[in-house]
Amino acid sequence: MTSPPLRFQVNGHPQHLANVPDSERLLDTLRWRLGLKGTKEGCRTGDCGACTVLVDDRTTLSCLTLTHEVDGAKLTTIETGPEDLVVTRVRAAFDRAGALQCGYCTPGFVMALAGLLKERGTAAAREELLDGLGGNLCRCTGYAAIVRAVDELRTEGP
Amino acid sequence: MNSFELVVPETAEEAVAALQALAPGEAAPIAGGTDLLIDVDEGRVAPRRVISLRRLPWKTLDWNAGALTVGSTLPLRSLEEDPQVRVSYPGLYQAVRAVGSVALRHRATLGGNLVRSAPASDLVPVLLSLDAEVDLVGPSGDRRVPVDRFVQASRRTDLRPGELVRSVYLPEARPSAFLWQRVRPSNDISQVAVAVAFSPAQRRWKVAVGGVTPRPTLLPEASDVLGSGRPTSSEVRRASEIAASRAAFVTDRRASEEYRRHLVATLLERAVGSAVNGGRFPA
Repeated sequence: MTSPPLRFQVNGHPQHLANVPDSERLLDTLRWRLGLKGTKEGCRTGDCGACTVLVDDRTTLSCLTLTHEVDGAKLTTIETGPEDLVVTRVRAAFDRAGALQCGYCTPGFVMALAGLLKERGTAAAREELLDGLGGNLCRCTGYAAIVRAVDELRTEGP
Repeated sequence: MNSFELVVPETAEEAVAALQALAPGEAAPIAGGTDLLIDVDEGRVAPRRVISLRRLPWKTLDWNAGALTVGSTLPLRSLEEDPQVRVSYPGLYQAVRAVGSVALRHRATLGGNLVRSAPASDLVPVLLSLDAEVDLVGPSGDRRVPVDRFVQASRRTDLRPGELVRSVYLPEARPSAFLWQRVRPSNDISQVAVAVAFSPAQRRWKVAVGGVTPRPTLLPEASDVLGSGRPTSSEVRRASEIAASRAAFVTDRRASEEYRRHLVATLLERAVGSAVNGGRFPA
């Protein structure tokens, strides 16, 4: 079953999608329909955070979200260009801190942190940011470098 | 994977009609979807039609004196972001923060958590301690049911065919606290959770525990021992002993019964301390 065409703003560009099955997940729409494979599938049960994207600037688990349920939304993924200043800053901080090993969890971490900064502003407390990353798992256990990236962002100022 | 048709009603009446049009089990409402979609993937449910509640005007937070009505489809994140919730219902704030992760809470809802009725729900114990009531809409009209009667067992509630949870009513702001123990602090399921609240109107404590079988429960004997105001340290100890001996703990893959009995005593002592010292405790 498919409902009417969907309209999104994806990484700043308008996007119309027809024939999306009603039961399709946002994760699959992004990866397989739009080719945005930076968003990763980890557990598909909301436990790992690898599929985190921004829906209207709010962190969202794309594996547990029906594409049709967010019709009309502004979607932001790791592929966004420099027009998203926050994601760009977080990516740069991860780069400088060397905050990745295999890289599989990285898009989820970057989007989770970008979402927290958008919600809380750059004055967000360190504990708030670290607590907010509690839903993202890194199996290489590269957490120390990720924490360094958080600290970099905080000292860098607005 | 099961595929379904999604319908998006504009009114509660339309939603109830859409739900009623099919046999129970063939239609399922969706709010945040963070439980439903996992149940679909794992084959526990196989609805033909999923009814989206997203256009219903239920993403609300309404204050009336100290009472609070939480719309069933309000994302949990919005509940925790409200500064007044934190002050008037500290136990609720702490319990909401304990659910999943930030990203999960942007979609997960109070209504969904109640209907899922998980034995390890972090929200049900707090709702019990606050004497919360569930407002339902359905084919034969509206009704209000205490959470204690609504929640029955895992995935089993008092919800009748065609009914939807519209909101949750909290009658009174209460000094309260919620504490838990888990393997991982974030995004995990509590082994034991304890909610305590003091009702200024009734001058009584309410103690509820999660991590018990078959569902979170009130512990009236432990509540009564805490008295009608600030409890003494021996009253708190006595309440902890009662909770440890009476709560229906079992051993499962998350924790042993013995460990749970140990935890509940410690968490209860700390929770009462937090509720008493959290400000606004009546003289």
